[in-house]
Amino acid sequence: MAGFLQQIVVGLGAGAIYASLALALVLIYRFTGIVNFAQGELAMFSAYVAWQFMAVGVPFWLALVLALAVSFVGGMLIERVIIRPVEGAPELTVVIVTVGLFIFVNAAAGWIWSFLIKDFPNPFPSGAIEAGGLTVGFSTLGVFVVVGVVMGLLYLLFQHTKIGLGMRAVSANPDSARLVGIRVGWTLALGWGLAATVGAVSGVLVAPLLFLEPNMMGGVLIYAFAAATLGGFDSPIGAVVGGLIVGVAETLAGAYVSAVGPDLKVGVPLVIILGVLLLRPQGLFGRAVVERA
Amino acid sequence: MNELVVSELHAGYGGAQVLHGVSFTVGEGEIGAILGPNGAGKTTLLRALSGMVKGRGSVRLDGVELLGSSPDTLARRGVAHVPEGRGTFMPLTVEENLRLGAYVRRSGVDADLDRIYGYFPALKPRLKQAAGSLSGGEQQMLALGRALMLRPRLLLLDEPSLGLAPLVTRELFRIVRAINEQERTTVVVVEQNAHLALGIAQQAHVLETGRIVLSGTAARIRADEQVAQSYLGYRV
Repeated sequence: MAGFLQQIVVGLGAGAIYASLALALVLIYRFTGIVNFAQGELAMFSAYVAWQFMAVGVPFWLALVLALAVSFVGGMLIERVIIRPVEGAPELTVVIVTVGLFIFVNAAAGWIWSFLIKDFPNPFPSGAIEAGGLTVGFSTLGVFVVVGVVMGLLYLLFQHTKIGLGMRAVSANPDSARLVGIRVGWTLALGWGLAATVGAVSGVLVAPLLFLEPNMMGGVLIYAFAAATLGGFDSPIGAVVGGLIVGVAETLAGAYVSAVGPDLKVGVPLVIILGVLLLRPQGLFGRAVVERA
Repeated sequence: MNELVVSELHAGYGGAQVLHGVSFTVGEGEIGAILGPNGAGKTTLLRALSGMVKGRGSVRLDGVELLGSSPDTLARRGVAHVPEGRGTFMPLTVEENLRLGAYVRRSGVDADLDRIYGYFPALKPRLKQAAGSLSGGEQQMLALGRALMLRPRLLLLDEPSLGLAPLVTRELFRIVRAINEQERTTVVVVEQNAHLALGIAQQAHVLETGRIVLSGTAARIRADEQVAQSYLGYRV
């Protein structure tokens, strides 16, 4: 039993990381209706930016803040320069553009920092808390705290600030948003900046667990897609709950289903994505679009 | 002086011209009704006035040219447009919808909310409800309330009667009239229900296939039986 609970704790720790990247995916989807396949690569790039700051002697937390700032501006720039020209284009066009962005960012990171793995410091102390036969590492707790804080800040931004209200208005009805005087273009750019910042947090959380290398977010992106699909692509809460469920499901399947094992557990998100799309396409928390005319 | 002067306005979508040189004036604090059949270009006219579609010619409010500015810039200059279909922010609450109407303003927003509840008491118990769950009539009131939150100098109303029960429509037009009288807002109302629109407007203009074919005081247009039959499709 203790072993089972331990696996759940491990799963939740992994799930919190998937949740943070899924949050970034959901943010962009809600604002622009775009599924950003490059989200993981942007997060990886942000982790490299943080690493670069540390490499020149900046302490971890300051490097993190700087990397988040760079990511925010970078996300806004990407929206203005790369996404804007295909705004309103058919979905396939936009998907191809974000896939192109994926490849470009991946190659750029390899070109700048090489494909050799780099060590990324873990900001959290190495010990663990033991209680009732359960061991919870400080790094796992740290991940929970960080993801919780990110969620809380996003909630405050969206529910209790005028900018957040404007962002929700743009996602609900861009034409009406224009008519009440909201600068929709800038708001969309802001959404991308925000998503890139949230993604950067996940990149910096992943980097110490895996090694820092240009392909490190590939797997995480798949889990994040599963999380967002499960939770509902338009629901931030859903992204987080979905992330946690995916993390636990993956860990339990890897530990207890011998046919899956550690090698095949990456197939779990695929099963989740398929299952959700078949049974409940809007996800657990997503809105099925039904409104009074 | 919030006089609206539209002259030689051409507008359309892509290559398709919808308006072919529309000219009319709505006096400061007056209501101008734009009447005409489906497809005459009434909605396009309002969309050109609020910057939603590009136009050529001239649209002056208080002497200042409006054409060529984006909708968000025009909102900041006091142009409020209640679009076709009401433009509700469905998933947001009623109160959030109203607050968005005052997005470009800084002060006096709470006082204005109370003013709106004065006009539309039906909205007050529904403040925390999702706007998408309101009935059509309530959504139209919400849309009008949202437009008023801007403290507009020019209010553009697109088919406020569309899809509403006759009683609700009459109530709505009564409120539009009251707003116009109390706030001295210049109003352009586009309407298929000519009878209702003529009841509140001072001036009326009949639009047909992108041209104004008749302008005059509301009373004159209503009195002119031939006009009524040929352009408005009903007997007085």
